[in-house]
Amino acid sequence: MSNVSVTTRPTQPRPQSGPAAHQRRARPARHRDDGRAGYVFLSPWLLGLALVTAIPMLVSLYLSFTDYDILSPWSDIQWVGLDNYRTMFTDDPAFWHAVRVTLVFALIGTPLKLGAALGVALLLNRSFRGAGLFRGLFYLPSLLGGSVAVAMIWRSIFDRTGAFNVFLGWFGIEGKAWVNDPSTALGTLILLAVWQFGAPMVIFLAGLKQVPVELYEAAEVDGAGTVRKFLSVTLPMLSPVIFFNLVLETIHGFQGFTSAFVLSGGTGGPVDSTLMYTLQLYLKGFANFEMGYASAMAWVFLLTIGLVTVVLFRTGRFWVHYSDGDD
Amino acid sequence: MTAPRMLRGLMAAALVLPLALAGCGGDDSGSKDGKTELTFFWWGGEARAKLTQQALDLYTSKHPDIKFKTTWQANQGYFDKLATLTAGSDAPDIFQIDDNYLAEYATRNVTEDLTPYKDSAKLDITKFPESLWKYGVVDGKLAGMAMGENTQGLVFNKTKLEAAKQELPKTGMSWEELIAWAQKAGPATKIPGTMDPSADYKAMWVWLRQNGKDLYNGNQLAFTKEDVQKWFELWKGARDAKATPTADVIHEGNETDITKQTVVTGKALTSWVWANQMPDIQKNTKDELGVVAYPGDPSAQWARASMYLSIYRGSKHKDAAIDVLNFLANDPEAVKILGTDRGLPSNLDLRAQVAATVTDPAMKASIALEDELVKKFGPSPAVPPKGHSTVKTELRKAAEAAQFGTATPAQAAEQFFNAAKAAVSG
Repeated sequence: MSNVSVTTRPTQPRPQSGPAAHQRRARPARHRDDGRAGYVFLSPWLLGLALVTAIPMLVSLYLSFTDYDILSPWSDIQWVGLDNYRTMFTDDPAFWHAVRVTLVFALIGTPLKLGAALGVALLLNRSFRGAGLFRGLFYLPSLLGGSVAVAMIWRSIFDRTGAFNVFLGWFGIEGKAWVNDPSTALGTLILLAVWQFGAPMVIFLAGLKQVPVELYEAAEVDGAGTVRKFLSVTLPMLSPVIFFNLVLETIHGFQGFTSAFVLSGGTGGPVDSTLMYTLQLYLKGFANFEMGYASAMAWVFLLTIGLVTVVLFRTGRFWVHYSDGDD
Repeated sequence: MTAPRMLRGLMAAALVLPLALAGCGGDDSGSKDGKTELTFFWWGGEARAKLTQQALDLYTSKHPDIKFKTTWQANQGYFDKLATLTAGSDAPDIFQIDDNYLAEYATRNVTEDLTPYKDSAKLDITKFPESLWKYGVVDGKLAGMAMGENTQGLVFNKTKLEAAKQELPKTGMSWEELIAWAQKAGPATKIPGTMDPSADYKAMWVWLRQNGKDLYNGNQLAFTKEDVQKWFELWKGARDAKATPTADVIHEGNETDITKQTVVTGKALTSWVWANQMPDIQKNTKDELGVVAYPGDPSAQWARASMYLSIYRGSKHKDAAIDVLNFLANDPEAVKILGTDRGLPSNLDLRAQVAATVTDPAMKASIALEDELVKKFGPSPAVPPKGHSTVKTELRKAAEAAQFGTATPAQAAEQFFNAAKAAVSG
């Protein structure tokens, strides 16, 4: 929305004589055209927002209070009030199971991913030959992001006869069918998410470059070692970037879908071990024809993510350090 | 620009844009150049696409005023797309559907009731076996025209068994005999003996019918919790006796894709499929395959409509679509082109002609099985009711819980029974 206010600013201040109401009517044609031109240029974005995001969201809000089953015509839709929400919280074990799976995925995956990103960023933040190449290589998995192909490759790597077990075999360890075993399937999904640490890593790298060298020099003069410098200089100076990555990756973690869908063949199996929230939502809507219920799930999801973000922002006050640097 | 103005502008744009989009995209089903264009959607592989297109081209050559806009894709994702098209009131004029979904669509009035067309002989089904066309009736309405016939088939790896000098499975052997056979054939071939079908509704269905029960009776479950428990225990015994692959391999086989069946990937000597899928499975392995009926009394099996062609109730060209259905089922040339790709032809006269000319060995084997069983077939059950797709999913979940040992057969049976009951009554 900030885009709108920025673009409209030129037309707003019209410090001329007379009351505002009069002004509006007597506004010179040229000004009006300026404003209109602005909206014309904005219109693709506004239309996109309205048609692809806002209207469907409102429709889904409405559907979440109905028994819409996707196949019946709209005229057959019955208003069921809060029934979908009530069922979800009181009478649907699969819902709570999906919540648990998603929490495990996000709460374990996100810190690991950020840790890996920060660790690699620290290693790459030195000048050595080929640093640029390594930066590119480590970033590559992120570019492949939510792609189906990567998930399929992952699946074959962690299959019983996959590359990972061949690797283990060199050390005389007998592996198992990681992706097809309910006790390890979610673990392979988390590993896939952690492996794609490139995006936060690049942001960490940029953040590290911003830390003033004087601070390190001053710390060294005071006799600080590597660990002390990291804890007392790097981490506080990097905390806004850590915070940014934390918020982004937490949201990202909650939304995991593609890898779970591909690795489980769209079922959330084996034995529901990879039944992520978004996957359960999809199955409810398209496989069980409960689109009203799925819409309600989507809204609970949206509100939960919003709430988590607010909580993160609240706690951020206590540990995020914003320097008033003018440098 | 003031807020009200902006809103008005936005609303105008929101109104105009869909119209503009409709102008460039949709509405080409009408009568440009005086021709009618029918949309036709099916799932299947490339071979099916080729055959179907040939048959439709033949129709167009006889009726130059009818054209087709065809779309096809793999089975996975097909029903998502069909549901989405239906939700947008943009379902194809003619679409392929199977008994897993027929009731879901028919009870929600998506499919046109074909009964009047049948009565007026615009759709001629007089040459169909009665039990076959009746398998398309949902709540008294003919929701789809059977586009082929098949039945349950146990596919096995003939090459590997013969190389190890093992007996081949036979129609009529009991479930216990099959498991004992698998226990012996497995070590001899160094391939696990039989795929565990406990997650497969069609295998459980046959087993239930052999035990005097059924899967459904109208909108009710026709079995008890104890039946399911016995079914799960039967296969737990087989797994414990090492007659089946391990749970993770079974899980792979439980996924629907025909190319991932255990008999294809070499991870078991058998797979539980529909007989008409034989040629497709055979294409994916160099070993020669054979097919027999599921274990137990084969009269529990029935002549099932392998799939249907249905007509969208909102179609603007229903009469034209009916004529196409009639053509695909009853025109000798068209039926010959289509062969047994969708199952044995529904028209019995033409079925005999097609069967006589088939050369593909896998197709021959599946025809031979059905010929053998046709005298033994029991009465067809009704088409599975609304909620069946959920029942299928729940069975797989519960069976896998038992397979991986995260639940006992009793717990898994209870979990499945309750979920299935809720699904069909809801």
